[in-house]
Amino acid sequence: MPMIDLLHAELKRTWIQFIRYPTEVISGIVIIMAVFYGLFASAQYMAGPGFAFGDRLDAVVLGYAMWTLIISVNNDIAINLQIEAETGTLEQVFLSPYGAPRVFLARAFASLALRLVILVVVLLLLMGLSGSRLAFPPLLLLPLASLLLAGYGLAFLMGAAALVFKRVQQVLGIFQFLLLFLLAAPLEEATGLMQYLRFLLPMLPSTGLLRDLMARSLGLDWFTYGLALLNGIVYFALGLLVFRWAEATAKQRGSLSGY
Amino acid sequence: MQLAHRPTDGWAENSSSGSVVLDTRNLSKVYGRGKQRFEAVQQVSLTLRQGEVLAFLGPNGAGKTTTIKMIAGLVRPTQGQITVAGEDPHRQPRALRHIGAVLEGNRNLYWRLTPEENLEYFGVLRQVPRKVAHRRGLELLARFGLEEKRQTPVQKLSRGMQQKVAIAVALIHNPKLLLLDEPTLGLDVEASEMVKALVRQIAQEGRAVLLTTHQLDVAEELSDRVAIIRRGRIIAEQSTEALLREFSSSTTYHLEVEGDLSPQQIHTVTQLGATVQGRQITYAGTPEHLYGLLGALSPVPLVSVQRDRADLTQVFLKLVNDHSDSSHAHD
Repeated sequence: MPMIDLLHAELKRTWIQFIRYPTEVISGIVIIMAVFYGLFASAQYMAGPGFAFGDRLDAVVLGYAMWTLIISVNNDIAINLQIEAETGTLEQVFLSPYGAPRVFLARAFASLALRLVILVVVLLLLMGLSGSRLAFPPLLLLPLASLLLAGYGLAFLMGAAALVFKRVQQVLGIFQFLLLFLLAAPLEEATGLMQYLRFLLPMLPSTGLLRDLMARSLGLDWFTYGLALLNGIVYFALGLLVFRWAEATAKQRGSLSGY
Repeated sequence: MQLAHRPTDGWAENSSSGSVVLDTRNLSKVYGRGKQRFEAVQQVSLTLRQGEVLAFLGPNGAGKTTTIKMIAGLVRPTQGQITVAGEDPHRQPRALRHIGAVLEGNRNLYWRLTPEENLEYFGVLRQVPRKVAHRRGLELLARFGLEEKRQTPVQKLSRGMQQKVAIAVALIHNPKLLLLDEPTLGLDVEASEMVKALVRQIAQEGRAVLLTTHQLDVAEELSDRVAIIRRGRIIAEQSTEALLREFSSSTTYHLEVEGDLSPQQIHTVTQLGATVQGRQITYAGTPEHLYGLLGALSPVPLVSVQRDRADLTQVFLKLVNDHSDSSHAHD
């Protein structure tokens, strides 16, 4: 199973690079803990009305966790492409017979796994410290999966932009505002045309479902979930397709390793 | 020309001796359009067989790196064909399993990872099963004398060691073709000698090695053949020996003696057509008459007799200058 080997190798590499310098790890975890402790202590002040998934502690924490996760997922591929172009490992990655899309997909899984582990560890620690309990319906994992699919689709689009246009930090910064809209705009409450158009925008149907589950205590509407999943798959496929095109363009221009 | 068409089974060495590993035909790369149009590489055709080292020589910006990257599938040629062990790296990603590369100006390695970890990671990236990659990695580290450093993060190693690790990584999947872009650039004398010795070993194992360099002594010491590239075109390609012979003035000898010559000897030697400067004698004549000269020097002990031999620096400068003269004549 070569793909499993690749995934294993990427997990190992991601983990080693993360853990090699313990001071970095500890300071990073302390910062995340501080932010979440703030949420636990004074939830309503820290989390503005913007991306609230409800005003219960569970929902506030979930909203914030989702927000940080999606931002890092979205920037993941583009930033790593740029770092590797600068440090000079990118071309070695493109020498893989797997082809770049598969390698970057395995990397995306690996970094997602690492982030989820850190998040879970931090949340467990804080629950132990504060004595509060967080409760999430397990059904939550379904819209979370479709959300991440669309999120990685966008990540591959940003990665494609990084391959073709090179310097993309500014774009990534501006992109966060768009993300805020995609995560927070409660378009599932919209009436009229927007009620339908929201299924065309990335991630929006999934975040709507998350709000249904967390804030409105509604069940999962399977038809809507089907559409949200389709939305995730379509954006993911689009991201991969554009990434392939960007790879071919960069090879044409001979600019793969430039930055 | 016969290409190796047999199916490849990964990491076993399975080619018969002397089969063609790399074949490029009329490789060209054009960047930009209109006034910005720039032909980086024009009509480059190369053939490289197993166990052969081809040095790709040229001034900066001549198109060496672009050619290497086209062969590695990293830059798409505008025209022309590449086959590596019978497969096209631009059409069949499988072809990349035959290619190992160390690129210049790149670290080629993850600096936070140790040599051992880098080898295992890149092995898997090149589709070597994980356990095989681990085992081969350890073998390569032992062979390259890096066993003690296998657990040290690459960023803490010396430049020479990093280069050795990069070469080891390029060999982890047992490729048939090794591409080395300026392998000794920026290394001190000792490290560069080490790298040269490694390249020789690697070729002896039956791999084809294509290296670019603008250090002529490196090319002269390592290569079986030299291709000189200038402004994107190959202006000379032949065996290193033949190239040097062609440019050597075959009838000039340099002799050195131990002790001073008597005035009588100096007179005789000068009569024979040689010039004497202290203990150094230069003689431009036929090999037969050389014995007459040696007789005249008797009994002063000889230190050395050397036929004048061009080095690659002279050949290179002559070729590059000749071509710029002729291209000016055409302008």
